[in-house]
Amino acid sequence: MTQPPVQTSASGHLDLIIEMTSDFAQSHDIEAILHLGLKRVCERLGAEAASLFLLEQDSGDLVCHACIGPTEVLGLRLAPGRGIVWRSIDLDTPQLVRDARFDPDFAVTVDEATGFVTRSILCAPMSFRGQKLGAIELFNKTDGQSFTSADGQLLRALAMSSALALINTRLVAGMAEQEAFRREIALASEIQRAMLPPPQPAASPIHGVNLPARGVSGDFYEILPLRDGRIAFAIGDVSGKGMNASLLMTKTASLFRCLAKREDGPGRMLAAIDSELHETGLAGMFVTMVAGILDPAAGRVILANAGHEPPLLRTRNGEYLPVDDGMPPLGIAPDLFADGCPESVVDLDGGALYLFTDGLTEARAGGGAMVGGDGARRLLDAFAGMPADERLQAVVRSLDGIGSLRDDVTLMVVEDRRLAAAGVFERRYSARPENLATIRAEVTEVARELGCSAGLVQDVVLAVDEACQNVIRHAYRGGDGDIVVHVGREDDLLVIRLMDFAPPVEVSKIRPRPLDEVRPGGLGIHLMRSVMDQVDFLPPPAGIGNLLQMVKRIDTP
Amino acid sequence: MNIETRDSDGIILVSLSGEVDLSHSAGLRKRLMELMFERRDVVVDLSAVTYVDSSGIAGLVEAYQMARKNNTRFVLAALSDPVRRVLQLARLDRVFTITDSAEAALKG
Repeated sequence: MTQPPVQTSASGHLDLIIEMTSDFAQSHDIEAILHLGLKRVCERLGAEAASLFLLEQDSGDLVCHACIGPTEVLGLRLAPGRGIVWRSIDLDTPQLVRDARFDPDFAVTVDEATGFVTRSILCAPMSFRGQKLGAIELFNKTDGQSFTSADGQLLRALAMSSALALINTRLVAGMAEQEAFRREIALASEIQRAMLPPPQPAASPIHGVNLPARGVSGDFYEILPLRDGRIAFAIGDVSGKGMNASLLMTKTASLFRCLAKREDGPGRMLAAIDSELHETGLAGMFVTMVAGILDPAAGRVILANAGHEPPLLRTRNGEYLPVDDGMPPLGIAPDLFADGCPESVVDLDGGALYLFTDGLTEARAGGGAMVGGDGARRLLDAFAGMPADERLQAVVRSLDGIGSLRDDVTLMVVEDRRLAAAGVFERRYSARPENLATIRAEVTEVARELGCSAGLVQDVVLAVDEACQNVIRHAYRGGDGDIVVHVGREDDLLVIRLMDFAPPVEVSKIRPRPLDEVRPGGLGIHLMRSVMDQVDFLPPPAGIGNLLQMVKRIDTP
Repeated sequence: MNIETRDSDGIILVSLSGEVDLSHSAGLRKRLMELMFERRDVVVDLSAVTYVDSSGIAGLVEAYQMARKNNTRFVLAALSDPVRRVLQLARLDRVFTITDSAEAALKG
């Protein structure tokens, strides 16, 4: 039997180093690669047996991950302490033991247990730039000789390249794990989105919109019609971000749904959710939340607030009243809600109640300043003429457009639709001359329904037509765009609002022509002012579009 | 909107019908201005106009101004209610020559 020629310098074994490195590069099965590598080293150095130990992060023990030879020591643990392997690692140098019997660190226990007779030992640390990963230990040369220091250098080189390959492989595995985590987040976000209420029908008095800043949102909202015709709703924001926040959000939203179906009042719902959160023991996390129930027939909302931004009532006159009674957030201390949560009663009276998360007020506007409460109001004013569902979308989109969102944004509106039920009209048209006939026909119908006499219907239709013409000719200047026409009755007043989305028109330039001057042009605005009691170009809100309001008293016969 | 014109002993009778709004007023203006350039006497029968807005009125005003300059006749005849209302609102009922019927205008 011929032995392979034993080469003594590490450089002579480059082929082996390259082979091992390529093994590592091609496979992600670390255990299999370690075993293969160890086998190659064992053969090349002519050793009878070999074992490879890796440091276990958590315990600090050395654990045998690969083993060649007659003795099976796979899984063997070496606690920190004496022993040749530990000595090699601690000193970060190869250890050559020509005769194990004379080495005080040699542990005879394995030999005694297995019957293997250890004569010579060579052990080299697997380390790279001070990072200690483990060690490779060889036992007994097959030729009966002792290992040499040249063997030691070679093993050192092989062990070092194994260490490097191992570090790389672990990095790759770490990246794969991150990728898996990313996919998990994407999945969680999909589930979350599926949990949010579907878009409500346009006529619904409650609408909501959620725009997550990153994959997973800590915001939620709920809209839940009850059997008695009332509608339960909630908006909430979970502390923190990412997966935990989103799981807590999911839990809170589910709890709300269960409780709302029992038709408890909002105060009792919040108290019950608080107690449930404490039982789950999500330490350090809390939820701010508003729960409410709308009675659409009465235009009345019952609200309870646990630490959330105060909802904002926009009255039908365009004033803002915060509803700021409330309690601390849910999940803070187990006894806070022992006596329930106080409820507020809000009469909408033709107005709209807005609920939002701080993502709305803390979004950054173009200049970097926060949109803030005033900015939020301006945005709500800007889109006041639009149907509720489109309005929320428009507000959120304009936030998204003006800068990067730092936080999730959730916005809800609860409206008094009793007027709508009585014939309030709100419709969006493409601003083209050929649509004017349709607009006139539809406004004619609604003006009649709202109690206008035949003559008044004619005048109102003329005013709307003239206003639309202005939008087509002066705001969009023949370009594409939409007009939203709103016609409603507020007590004995017929209120018409026209909203466009063109650059603001300079109001001062729109003025009626002097009556004694007979010339075409400038007539439209005069006609509008003649037939309506009041015509106001409301200030172009936040630079978006133009809002025209026309009011006419309806004389009751 | 529909425009019909016919020659009645040298006077052009323009019969308008339907809705005269922004989508039609350019057509009306073009037809009237053609007649004005030909220096024709024109009677516009408005009895069948169901709706007119400021853009339609603007076409009539422009024709009226040109007729004055040309020293030709420009008469509005048989105003329907919607037309009368808008002319009143614009205080133009005192500016135009208005007759109760097209026949009266043609005779006059």
